Amino acid sequence: MAENKGKVKIHVSHLVKSFGKLEVLKDISNDIYEGEVVVILGPSGSGKSTFLRCLNRLEDITGGQVVVDGVDITSKKTNINEYRQKIGMVFQHFNLFPHMDVLRNITLAPVDLKKMTKEEAQKRGMELLKRVGLEEKAKVYPPQLSGGQKQRVAIARALAMNPDIMLFDEPTSALDPEMVGEVLQVMKELAADGMTMVVVTHEIGFAREVASRVIFMDGGYIVEEGTPDEVFNHPKEPRTIDFLNKVL
Amino acid sequence: MVKIITNYGPLLLRAMQQTLLLAMSGLFFACIIGMIFGLLSVLKNRVCNLIATIFVDVIRGVPMIVLAYFIYLGVPAGINSLLEKGGFTLSALQAGTACLALNCGAYMAEIIRAGIQSVDKGQMEAARSLGLPYWRAMVRVVLPQAIRTMIPSIVNQFIITLKDTSILSVIGFPELVNTAKNVVAKTFMSLQTWAIVAVMYLIVITILSKIAKMLERRLNRGRE
Repeated sequence: MAENKGKVKIHVSHLVKSFGKLEVLKDISNDIYEGEVVVILGPSGSGKSTFLRCLNRLEDITGGQVVVDGVDITSKKTNINEYRQKIGMVFQHFNLFPHMDVLRNITLAPVDLKKMTKEEAQKRGMELLKRVGLEEKAKVYPPQLSGGQKQRVAIARALAMNPDIMLFDEPTSALDPEMVGEVLQVMKELAADGMTMVVVTHEIGFAREVASRVIFMDGGYIVEEGTPDEVFNHPKEPRTIDFLNKVL
Repeated sequence: MVKIITNYGPLLLRAMQQTLLLAMSGLFFACIIGMIFGLLSVLKNRVCNLIATIFVDVIRGVPMIVLAYFIYLGVPAGINSLLEKGGFTLSALQAGTACLALNCGAYMAEIIRAGIQSVDKGQMEAARSLGLPYWRAMVRVVLPQAIRTMIPSIVNQFIITLKDTSILSVIGFPELVNTAKNVVAKTFMSLQTWAIVAVMYLIVITILSKIAKMLERRLNRGRE
């Protein structure tokens, strides 16, 4: 287990998610601590993306609980929109808004949700763009960016609401190989700044280097978890070993 | 031909004005109806979806001429017998507007539904993940993109509706076809009169499609 014994940011207990008759997540329990970088690995169809999407309720939860900062976000009484502001999300296919320029993509939520004035949001937006190395692209529309640039803008957009948790759903899977590095670099910097991160990825190198904990999922269960060293160098479960043999 | 134009030209022009008036008022309400039922059909709510489906199917399944008679003659008759006193009537303009609005509204609802569904669902997810409520995300992110893809179909539907006003000649609204019938009855010059009417429709519709093309190009400028 991770040494990190800080505050529990996300508490997941007995999470179940079904799509119709198909049960994708079968009884998942886990605690994610403040400042942890949790990397979720697993074969496709193992439920890892669905798990991630349950953490901000992009998927309706069939059973169990997801508690963020002590508040049960599965409860109907919880204002999910408020909680989503604290949880940034980055998608495999970027999902930038193509009809808005880069800066507007970033300032939309803070301005629209009255978290900042337009000027504040633009100032913050430029800071974030600088952080991801794209300040000269502020007035460009997303279709004119490369994949790696799009994903860095998407990260900046997710950071605009000052979230304290970031979810990454295969952030480099849709990128050309030469662009993977620039996106991982931004993520590493975020991790170094102490952001709580949950990352679904196939980048084993990133997991080894940055993860404080690695979770291996298969068939809707958490099969094995531990430090990168434990999971990659001394896996215990046959399914983990089998998977690692295929990808390493 | 010249005789018709000099004698009846102003009358036919006024009739064209009436046609446009009817089309515009019909289209105005059709947009509202289309928006309402289009949105009902994309909501994640079975009852709303069902209401939208029934509306669209019923309107699509009834010929417009039947709808026109139903609204113009049937509805007032029904209301009068219900209230057990006479006197309630709808003007041809009111009935015609309602008829066009319902008919065109149903097709608009389908166009709007398809337009919204054509927007990648990742767009809605990204907006929601930032904390935007559903309607905010719809208005700020999904609809602006949907409208771009909807414009050609909407223009097409406007043109169809403009032509459909001719059906409303049957309820006596003094639009172009109705007026032309009267002109033919007086002059017995079918060929010339109907040729003139055809050209009048053609001109108006061509102008409208050109404007629409321009609009479409302007909206797409600066993208991709």
